[in-house]
Amino acid sequence: MERPLKIAIYSGEIPSTTFIERLIQGLSREGVAVLLFGVLKHAPKYPESVRVLGYCSSRFYKFMYLLRYSLLLGLFRNQDKRRLDAFLRAYGRSDLYSKVKCYPVLWQRPDVFHVQWAKGLEDWLWVQDFGIKLVLSLRGAHINYSPIADPEVAAMYRRCFPKVDGFHAVSKAIGLEAEQYGARPERVHVVYSGLDLKSVDTPISSEDSKILRLISVGRSHWIKGYSYTLDACKLLKDSGMGFKYLIVGGANMIEYQYQVHDLGLELEVELLEGQSYEAVQHLIGRADLLLLPSVKEGIANVVLEAMALGTLVVSTNCGGMAEVIRDGENGFLVPIRDSQAIAEAVMRVQSLPESKLEAIRAKAQATITAQHDEAIMVKGMLALYREVSSE
Amino acid sequence: MGTGPIKQIQRIGLVLSAAPGYSETFFRNKIEGLQAQGFEVVLFIVEGSKKEPIDIRCDVVSAPKFKGSALQVFVQSVFVFFKALLASPRVSFRHFQLDIGKGFPLGQCIKRLLQNAFMFGYPLDWLHFGFGMLAVGREHVAEAIGAQMAVSFRGFDLYLSPLKHPDCYALLFITKVRYHVLSYEMKQDLMVHGIPESAIYVISPAIDVQFFKDSTGSFESKTLVASKVLQIVTVARLHWKKGLEYSLEAMTILKKQGVPFHYTIVGDGPEYERLVFAAQQLGIREQVTFAGSLSPDLVKEHLEAADVYVQYSIQEGFCNAVLEAQAMGVLCVVSDAEGLSENVLHKDTGWVVPKRQPLLLAGQIQLVANLDPLVAKEIRCAAIDRVQRGFNLEEQQRAFVGFYL
Repeated sequence: MERPLKIAIYSGEIPSTTFIERLIQGLSREGVAVLLFGVLKHAPKYPESVRVLGYCSSRFYKFMYLLRYSLLLGLFRNQDKRRLDAFLRAYGRSDLYSKVKCYPVLWQRPDVFHVQWAKGLEDWLWVQDFGIKLVLSLRGAHINYSPIADPEVAAMYRRCFPKVDGFHAVSKAIGLEAEQYGARPERVHVVYSGLDLKSVDTPISSEDSKILRLISVGRSHWIKGYSYTLDACKLLKDSGMGFKYLIVGGANMIEYQYQVHDLGLELEVELLEGQSYEAVQHLIGRADLLLLPSVKEGIANVVLEAMALGTLVVSTNCGGMAEVIRDGENGFLVPIRDSQAIAEAVMRVQSLPESKLEAIRAKAQATITAQHDEAIMVKGMLALYREVSSE
Repeated sequence: MGTGPIKQIQRIGLVLSAAPGYSETFFRNKIEGLQAQGFEVVLFIVEGSKKEPIDIRCDVVSAPKFKGSALQVFVQSVFVFFKALLASPRVSFRHFQLDIGKGFPLGQCIKRLLQNAFMFGYPLDWLHFGFGMLAVGREHVAEAIGAQMAVSFRGFDLYLSPLKHPDCYALLFITKVRYHVLSYEMKQDLMVHGIPESAIYVISPAIDVQFFKDSTGSFESKTLVASKVLQIVTVARLHWKKGLEYSLEAMTILKKQGVPFHYTIVGDGPEYERLVFAAQQLGIREQVTFAGSLSPDLVKEHLEAADVYVQYSIQEGFCNAVLEAQAMGVLCVVSDAEGLSENVLHKDTGWVVPKRQPLLLAGQIQLVANLDPLVAKEIRCAAIDRVQRGFNLEEQQRAFVGFYL
């Protein structure tokens, strides 16, 4: 029988994003001991095999926390502590905050330390000196655009990526991006994000309406490319199509507010504040079409959710989206930064017979079941952890 | 008061968010111009830090900052309140009365009084708010101190602030105010809110035409040769309203069409990451230079080297950078955002292209690149002449004196 693994998951904050939390729960169900480090915002209910070792942000708490681990290490593993201190000094990180972050990890000494966000990678290279394997997730802005706009980040990636024991790529495309910074291809493991499909409640077919209901969901950020869908809305309006477009998470962004006003789309477009997970699921389920106009993505979770819910998707062909969507088969793909193409795709969807749309929805759901089930994700991550820890 | 020639010195209170920096020629020029014409100017700073160097030769009064613990804020508020009552009892009472008369609850009236009391002790003929949003919450100060009220709208405050703060100008627009705007389009847009035409003065921005002029005469000999690399320049803050992502998309179209070009963006700002990423993703990173923020001397150097100046803004009050480019004899292609089509006269002093349409922008740049040299020279000369005559600092100063008379 294989020895139970001790995996540390580090995203900087506890709790983390929905998908990281889903991974934590899934790993614990597989009997893996999961250790969570970082700032403790609040502690969600975790199974017994998950140990929360984070710290509160108050100065007193951090002081006591540091004192505890300094004493433990000083008394029982002083040599290790001195090695770590030397490492931190060499990297100019011998401040108290760095020690608050690192001492508990050294004390716990997990088999694998899994860093979720690449920009923080350099802070954790030291774990390898203590026999801990270093795994990095390749996701989001940290890979997609930060190293392009910031040469220092790119240089750090080039220094550090060749040393990483294993990469978790959320898509094949993002894995290839990482290879540009020296990630060794054999160490890149593509593990797609998984949904808890048991909790997905497919809505009964939406009520008939002559008005097409479009939706986008995402934070107010330029990477989401909403200016392109808004320009597309203007084209749709000019073509005489009746539609309503809801951007969940698009409120309070004056750029979009102005664009809606400037293009005279006040009656067609609604910018809504961020909503709870349940509310978002409900809104996606009610919509006819989800639009993903992003200029870059790993694989957008919201698209997976829409496909699972039986809502048709028009997505830009960015990042790993083509690994999920096959144009005209289980959704629709359009080029990035192309409002005309988005508008044409929406018109194409509207012109298709319901039987065809139903077939696309069914294929979309089948794709999610085959490729993005939470169990598949957990299995993939376990395989990655086992592989790196057996090396 | 306020009609006929200046019989006695007029005192103008100018309200700004911060003291104008060294490079902010608009307010500096305005203050110096008014002083030269015999006006006294008092500068009221409502948000700026006291640490900022203030080298303007006029009285500068900063608003108190209510910050710190709840107790500190309370003590400060009590101090300001009693100071206002003792030093300016009539003005304080009048301000309070006006607020109550407009239906503000008691707490709001006191808050507004505390916020504005630092201006009460200054007898003024005019109280002029430098931006629309600065007048919000201060609508009754001018009347309370017995001054006339003026408000400048600069673009952002007229078009964007109301989207973020709906109805923010509801009280302002029913208050007796003389408005200064930068363009006739802004005037029209202000009139939609029920402001009478006679209360709105269009005073265009101005530039230092002595500095921004083609001293080398290089434009005379400048010809656009199809084989050479077309030098395209934009001077703008890296902000979404400048439409730079659309500009980059237009450059991509130029590249696809085989036009050799180099595009330099002078300026920095919050959208740097977005724009660098766009240039990279669009495959034109090598053709685009992000030059960062530069001194006027270096801006001038870039303009001297430019063949075409592009300002493809989404929202723009008027835009001094386009005036500077025209004054330097650079052929300008701009969007039709608000004041830009008054800044550049389509086909007379440059070209105006509908906004948010990179294909049209690319097409226009190509037309300009292939322009008959004689036509190009005609347009450059017309642009230089128009800016030199109509958008110089002296002209602007004269207009502002007229504004207060």
